[in-house]
Amino acid sequence: MDQQQPPPPTPNAPPPSSAVDPPPQPQPQPQIQQQTTPTPPSTSSTAIPNPNPNPILKPLPSAIPPPQQPPHPKPALPSHQPRPAAAFSRPWQQHSSQFTHFSSSSPSASSPPSPSFSSQPRGSIALGVPSSHSGPLPPSPSPSQSTPFTGSFGHSFGGTSSSNVSQARPMMRGIGIGSSVGSSSQMRPGGISAQHQQRPLQSSLRPTSSPTSQSASTQNFQGHGLMRVSAVGSSSSTPSTPQTPQSPNQPWLSSGAQGKPPLPPPWHRPQINAPSLQPRAHIPQQHHSLQTISQQQHVSSPQVPPQNISSIQQQEPFEQQFSQSRASQSLPHQQQDSRSQGSANQKPSSLAMVQPSTVQVTQNKAAITESDDSGGRILSKRSIHDIVNQIDPSEKLDPEVEDILVDIAEDFVDSITTFGCSLAKHRKSDTLEAKDILLHLERNWNMTLPGFSGDEIKTYKKPLTNEVHKERLAVIKKSILASEAANAKHIIGQTAVNTKGNVGKVAANILGSPNVKIREVS
Amino acid sequence: MINPSTGPSSKAKVQHMMYGFGDDPNPLPETVTLVEEIVVEYVTDLAHKAQDIGSKRGKLSVEDFLFLIRKDLPKLNRCTELLSMQEELKQARKAFEVDEDKLATLE
Repeated sequence: MDQQQPPPPTPNAPPPSSAVDPPPQPQPQPQIQQQTTPTPPSTSSTAIPNPNPNPILKPLPSAIPPPQQPPHPKPALPSHQPRPAAAFSRPWQQHSSQFTHFSSSSPSASSPPSPSFSSQPRGSIALGVPSSHSGPLPPSPSPSQSTPFTGSFGHSFGGTSSSNVSQARPMMRGIGIGSSVGSSSQMRPGGISAQHQQRPLQSSLRPTSSPTSQSASTQNFQGHGLMRVSAVGSSSSTPSTPQTPQSPNQPWLSSGAQGKPPLPPPWHRPQINAPSLQPRAHIPQQHHSLQTISQQQHVSSPQVPPQNISSIQQQEPFEQQFSQSRASQSLPHQQQDSRSQGSANQKPSSLAMVQPSTVQVTQNKAAITESDDSGGRILSKRSIHDIVNQIDPSEKLDPEVEDILVDIAEDFVDSITTFGCSLAKHRKSDTLEAKDILLHLERNWNMTLPGFSGDEIKTYKKPLTNEVHKERLAVIKKSILASEAANAKHIIGQTAVNTKGNVGKVAANILGSPNVKIREVS
Repeated sequence: MINPSTGPSSKAKVQHMMYGFGDDPNPLPETVTLVEEIVVEYVTDLAHKAQDIGSKRGKLSVEDFLFLIRKDLPKLNRCTELLSMQEELKQARKAFEVDEDKLATLE
């Protein structure tokens, strides 16, 4: 690997890095920093790798929250990621030593990753053997774009339950490449590429999605998978294969075409999603990841999540299109402007279709689809396609039907928003809040949306009854009782003539309520 | 959440139930919270409707609840089964008492 060769760190660097990993996070950080400083001067061949470790190191201390934990605090993530990146950067330098280390630690890698650096050594092991899992890579907003990539890498390794050493290696390569690329330009593109790399790593690492991780690993091997991932976010470098020359912005294009077949849709989707959301460290299929990602990236979430989640189907053509559009879009906008991206929704939607996996968090889906519908003035037909595919992949709709559905959806959103606003105004507030929408849906559409009410106790109103009505009911009851009493007397007279038992039985059958009376009589 | 829970935390109960229905042994906390909220909302809504029906007949009774879940066959059957079991247990307990009384009278 080019990356590995150029920066030959001082011999001390690798061992301390490994040693640093197990100790608690604070310790490794200072050590890493110290170690990195000597490395830059040592590496003369490539300047790129050097800058990478430096930026990576800084965020490391903060970014190592256990990727496994569902909520990944944004600040925590960036810090954690850099750490593993730093640790990994060293291993790259010392190829052989690292792999041996990895091999030994491979069994440990399978064990649940711990948030601390201890996971790193596992990660390093993963290099040799790609782990299936999508290690809980925290969606790092990545202060340095390259760092999140590395950070996630480390975590992902720790998280990987299954030992896929093979995967780790290609991933490492990708990471090295990506990091080098990313570090060189700490612009979005670099970050995106890093993200791409991270995603495959993350996705593969996650234990929950073992199949996806496997696929991811295979992809990594091929380099295509990484390409795909990067394709979304315009990954600068193909992580898996340093061999394939790829332009920073279109590596995915070339790789995407190749890597498609092996890449399973669900794994693919999450990856695609990741690049779109730069800060998001792609967490495939994980509710957790989606949530964290959405939390972390509010900006991009409205736009990307809806699209990603909804569509799964069309991978290849969309991926390329999407990645291109994304690359162009993401760079200029920080994906914060949902509106602006709304216009680009069509392209991203196609990509979203590819990326999002139905497995993704349902909540996110609901939230995202809702936000998407409500956010975009013009609901794209792709979204309709995606939704239909979620229901039935083989379902097809006529174009007229799609048009009508789009119109219905837009009218729905419009009417709800309008009524919600009038409710808010009635509340004497100038802010449209969730409770306005919830009330309208609950009362007029009979739709309950759990998870948004904020746990407000629903007060119960006893049905208002008029006095007149109550009096009438009382009169009716009296008359019923009187008639029953009359019947009972009649039956009693009959029993006197007939057999008590027979009459009693008959009476009991006829009269349900006055059974007690009849029994007493008989 | 405003959720009066007694005994083991309601979240733990919900979590175990989710596992019983096929979920992961350790689901996401957000998922558990959401499911718990759904359950609470459902029970609250059911109670409100039952009260509406019961107030027309005078008093709230078990029949009102059974009427509300009449469309949901599994639930309805399960409810009737549980109620019948309760009746049987009552009868069994009664039998015990009667035996004691008989013994006392005989002696």
